Amino acid sequence: MPPQRSGVAVTETEAESATATSAQEVRPRSKLASTGEVIGLYAICLFGALAIAAALVEFASDKGSWTTVYTVILDGAVRKPGRWGLTLGVAAPILLVALGTTVSGRAGLVNIGQEGQLVIGAAFTAYVGTRIGGPGPLALVISLAMGVVGGAIWAGIAGALRFWRNVPEVLTTLLMGTVAANLVGWGLRHRSLLLAPPEGRANRNQVSQPFAADRHIPRVTLFGNDFPISILLAILLAIVVWLVLGRTVVGFRLRMLGRNARTAQRAGVDQKRYGIGAMLVSGGFAGLAGGVMLAGGDFGPYQLVADFGAGIGFAGLLAALVARQRALVIIFVAFLFAGLRTGSGFLRATGVSARIADVVQGTLVLAMLLPPAILYLRARRRAIAATSSRT
Amino acid sequence: MSNFFSALGDIFTNESLYRNAIIATVVLLFAASGEVVAEKAGTINISLEAMMLAGAYAAAVGQGRAGVWGGLGMAAIAGLVVAGVQANMSHRLSADQFVVGLVLNVLVLGIVGFLVGSNEPASHIVERTKVPVLAEVPLIGPALFDQPWVLYLVYPLVPAIWFLVYRTRWGLEVRAIGEDPNASDVSGLSVNKLRRQTIYLTGMVAGVGGGYFLYARSGRFEDSLIGGRGYIAIAAVIFGGWTLKGTVAGCVAFGLVGSLVLTIPSLGYQAIDPAFLAMAPNVVTIVAMTMFAKRVRQPAALARPFIRGLK
Amino acid sequence: MTSTHDDHVGGERSSPPAVELIGITKHFGQIVACDRVNLTLRRGQIHGVLGENGAGKSTLMKVLIGLVLPDAGEVRLHGRTVQITDPVNASAHGIAMVHQHFSLVEALTVWENVALGDVGRLDHRHIRRRVGEISEHYGLHINPDDRIADLPAGMRQRVEIIKCLRRDPEVLVFDEPTSVLSPSESEFLFAALRRVVTEGGKAVALVSHKLPEILSVTDEVTIMRDGRVVQSGSTGGTHASALAKAMVGRSVVLRREHAAFGVIETDGDQPVPEVAAPRRPAATEPALRLIDLSAIGRDGRVLLGGLTLDVYPGEIVGVAGVEDNGQRTLGDVLSSLANIESGQVLVNGVEVATGKAGAMAKAGIAVIPEDRHDSGCVLDFTVAENLFIADPDRVSRRGLINMATMRAKATQLIEQFSINCTGPNAPMWSLSGGNQQRVVMARELSHSPKVLVAAQPTHGLDVGAIEYMSDQLRNAAVAGVGVLLISTELEEILDLSDRIVVIYNGRIIGEMPKSEVDIARLGLLMGGATSDATTTIGGSGD
Repeated sequence: MPPQRSGVAVTETEAESATATSAQEVRPRSKLASTGEVIGLYAICLFGALAIAAALVEFASDKGSWTTVYTVILDGAVRKPGRWGLTLGVAAPILLVALGTTVSGRAGLVNIGQEGQLVIGAAFTAYVGTRIGGPGPLALVISLAMGVVGGAIWAGIAGALRFWRNVPEVLTTLLMGTVAANLVGWGLRHRSLLLAPPEGRANRNQVSQPFAADRHIPRVTLFGNDFPISILLAILLAIVVWLVLGRTVVGFRLRMLGRNARTAQRAGVDQKRYGIGAMLVSGGFAGLAGGVMLAGGDFGPYQLVADFGAGIGFAGLLAALVARQRALVIIFVAFLFAGLRTGSGFLRATGVSARIADVVQGTLVLAMLLPPAILYLRARRRAIAATSSRT
Repeated sequence: MSNFFSALGDIFTNESLYRNAIIATVVLLFAASGEVVAEKAGTINISLEAMMLAGAYAAAVGQGRAGVWGGLGMAAIAGLVVAGVQANMSHRLSADQFVVGLVLNVLVLGIVGFLVGSNEPASHIVERTKVPVLAEVPLIGPALFDQPWVLYLVYPLVPAIWFLVYRTRWGLEVRAIGEDPNASDVSGLSVNKLRRQTIYLTGMVAGVGGGYFLYARSGRFEDSLIGGRGYIAIAAVIFGGWTLKGTVAGCVAFGLVGSLVLTIPSLGYQAIDPAFLAMAPNVVTIVAMTMFAKRVRQPAALARPFIRGLK
Repeated sequence: MTSTHDDHVGGERSSPPAVELIGITKHFGQIVACDRVNLTLRRGQIHGVLGENGAGKSTLMKVLIGLVLPDAGEVRLHGRTVQITDPVNASAHGIAMVHQHFSLVEALTVWENVALGDVGRLDHRHIRRRVGEISEHYGLHINPDDRIADLPAGMRQRVEIIKCLRRDPEVLVFDEPTSVLSPSESEFLFAALRRVVTEGGKAVALVSHKLPEILSVTDEVTIMRDGRVVQSGSTGGTHASALAKAMVGRSVVLRREHAAFGVIETDGDQPVPEVAAPRRPAATEPALRLIDLSAIGRDGRVLLGGLTLDVYPGEIVGVAGVEDNGQRTLGDVLSSLANIESGQVLVNGVEVATGKAGAMAKAGIAVIPEDRHDSGCVLDFTVAENLFIADPDRVSRRGLINMATMRAKATQLIEQFSINCTGPNAPMWSLSGGNQQRVVMARELSHSPKVLVAAQPTHGLDVGAIEYMSDQLRNAAVAGVGVLLISTELEEILDLSDRIVVIYNGRIIGEMPKSEVDIARLGLLMGGATSDATTTIGGSGD
């Protein structure tokens, strides 16, 4: 049954006829009002977000003040020696996850299970990387590729269910996140799967065998900062994603699917193929992020542990949302979020809980949701005011 | 084989299995009975998790100052605050409801974690209150009627929600806006306002649920207390096919599974890895959605924002 | 129909009229939707409000029911000036509206729908009883416990009416009530409406653009054009041509304009020039063959029940029918949007896969969809992007889109089809409806199609846009394209088609060439009566 048109909706279609006749085209003044207004709105929201976090530090905790907190975070993120290198290392997987989210998001799919896809990717990388022989760099590439495969499979299941059985991908990706964590936890208890041999794990349970040194992602040292080359790969991929989405036929069709699935279907965009493809890419990116975390060295001693995801999947998802799924903007947001993480590591000395970084991140995301929503609603209201005319 | 059956017998005659199952079921019921209303009105409330967590924390803080009732009151308010953000961002500003929900989960976890790190609330457990006669029923009697009294709040809650949804004008309007917001709007209903109200209701009930779980469990607040139960409650609503009856069944089933996770290892059986039991509710829900997705009718406007003039 | 209340028409009456709208003015931006409009509704009368799309009649009604606040003017009810701020407020004043498209929630029952929008305690016994009473009193035959989803369009409209009457309003507004009804259902509606007016003493406003309806049903008529009242008075003394002239503002000569307003000249008091000689095809092979198409909806409803139809190159085949008889599914199948259970679609004798993305477009079937926002364009894309949605390869090399080429080609099309926009990079949503339609048309025709499917192509367009659209369809046919015109506006079909078929319950149940059109038989077919069963419907044939 097609959606019914309400009287109000009809208003619009009929109204358009009126504007068509008038010599003067009625057009909402501009979609985003004036630039100054927009910047102002973002500034207010940004300020509000930081103020909330500051207030929390001031009033809910007897340790430290908001000025010291922000100074310390800044120190920990970029200012102190070696810190921005660390931040780059953390930014790499966040950026990768966010890029994947952008691909599926542009195709109109809501993938919110990156954390699970990432963990599965890391597990695949760990399994393959500790078992295959051959020269180190090749083994590294193969195991990272397996990470991509793992993440893609995990997201692909949700994609397949969405397009074959019409199961909402939001829910399946969400639910499969927990499944992934449990599966990997189980795998880490079995020697035949992920668990390291007894001699390698001292008295720790649930750790995988560490990557051999020749399989680590190479690190670059620059001005006393040391970071894995995966961040360069990630930035390169961001440019690729930007190009593919904006300049290629495939990207054009993917965006079409996301904006209007029925028009896309008529125009020859196979929903199943493109939709599932977008989910595979999305999961693949998350899986790669997991592999990069494992082999990069910024997240523990090159080995898989329980709860390995450490919220990087969520951070990447949020980064994509804040950047409104624009691949180049995501680079900066990923760095910002990574900075919050590395910066908050310095908070321990002040006695302020490092969780304040999560709070800042959360309020920032919420605040960044506001301006586009407000602007959209206003543009919408204007458009309706302009077109709901004579009928 | 006989080993297997005797093991089953052991497990299913164990009183603590049912006690734990009821405790786990009830926390899901608190959350899901509100969520089913919100979903009937058209919102999938991912922030359920945050509402419960905020409720649990507020209950922990509140009982120290105003006793258990005061704690529950504060839990309801905390849930309401989270609901206020979710409702107004998604149904006033029409921001994406999943995005808002996810961010709230991260944010509330951060805030609560920060607050606990700064000053941890004292713990307090609510003693069991035995309901005479009923608690004497073997196996399930103690589980149902020899529990902390806070649990008993759920017994009137579920019928009350049923009455609200199926017998009141508000409930009729809620069902209407979840099915056809445009037609409802033309009929003079305020779609987004009603949707916000359902989220407020969900927030309050889920907040109380979080408070209940704190008291029923350990009384000691940890930020891992809720640990994904909000997601399982959402799964229960979907598993139940968006009916209250089905949702209750889903909560019971998932509560029982949750209890098995604890009971089976405690009885010394190792046959099933607890990891699989822990993921069972999610897997079952996904399988159920896959099998019934075409047969069960979800509210037609579920997860679609309503903006007047947009289809 | 002669008025039974002639004494009211002159305006001399002791008690004041139910509604007086005085000097209502409403601007939307630079457009004047209503310009000092006066309208008087009296108890016991049906008052027709006639006008083209965009004449301002709906805005006027929205002022009355509180959806639109006027810039100037006043509303008087029984002589007292009131402020109507919103629909709830209007309802409290005893004004109710029956909407053009239903305001019913399908998943709920009749009584639940009737109760929607009320306030106070929900007393289902009371509501059920009231629904029964009203249904019985006006002979509407409605069961309060039926689910709306199970009811046909005509019954739904009755529920809509009950929903209004239950609050016992004094003023009822009907907005284009017959657009979704078959002729016999329309007659039933008007009979019921007459009972409501005479027995209930209500004042009724009937908004319509169909002249025959206004002529046969109303007591008084107000004609609007460009936001102004151009004529007002008793319906009794007027006739179709005069009304049409007043409505358009010039003498209506061309048949197509005639047809657009529902004047079907059968008595020949005005000459109807032939537009073109029948373009009966010389080609032996149909451009489009539909063979025994069957489709079943997800709820098990039959959407297409063995539809067979040929369209030859160079002819326009009009598919007439009442809304919801399979037209939408037919359009969807030909747009690759729906799949079929059985049957075949052939273009120039070659079978086309159904339900496969893009297959129909690739085979040469161009579609101007019923709802362009639904499957015709992407509102968030630019005009240029929208022009190359179906075939981005034309502006790309090795998968890379060449932006400069795309802009250049788009600019060409924009000029060729006189699309009024700021340029190829203008977002689609910034265009007016008529211009969006032109973008769709430009894209579809630029692919040199073999078949052109136009579903409700003029719905919601004004006269100028309608003429443009009609010309395009004719030109396409002249150029040898097989044109399939799917429309619920019988007049549009009669005007444009070389051959007319009638769709009912997902089947073609009748066919006639333009030269042998029999309006009465057409009407019966649309109501589902095959020619040998005319007596079962009765009434409209004479």
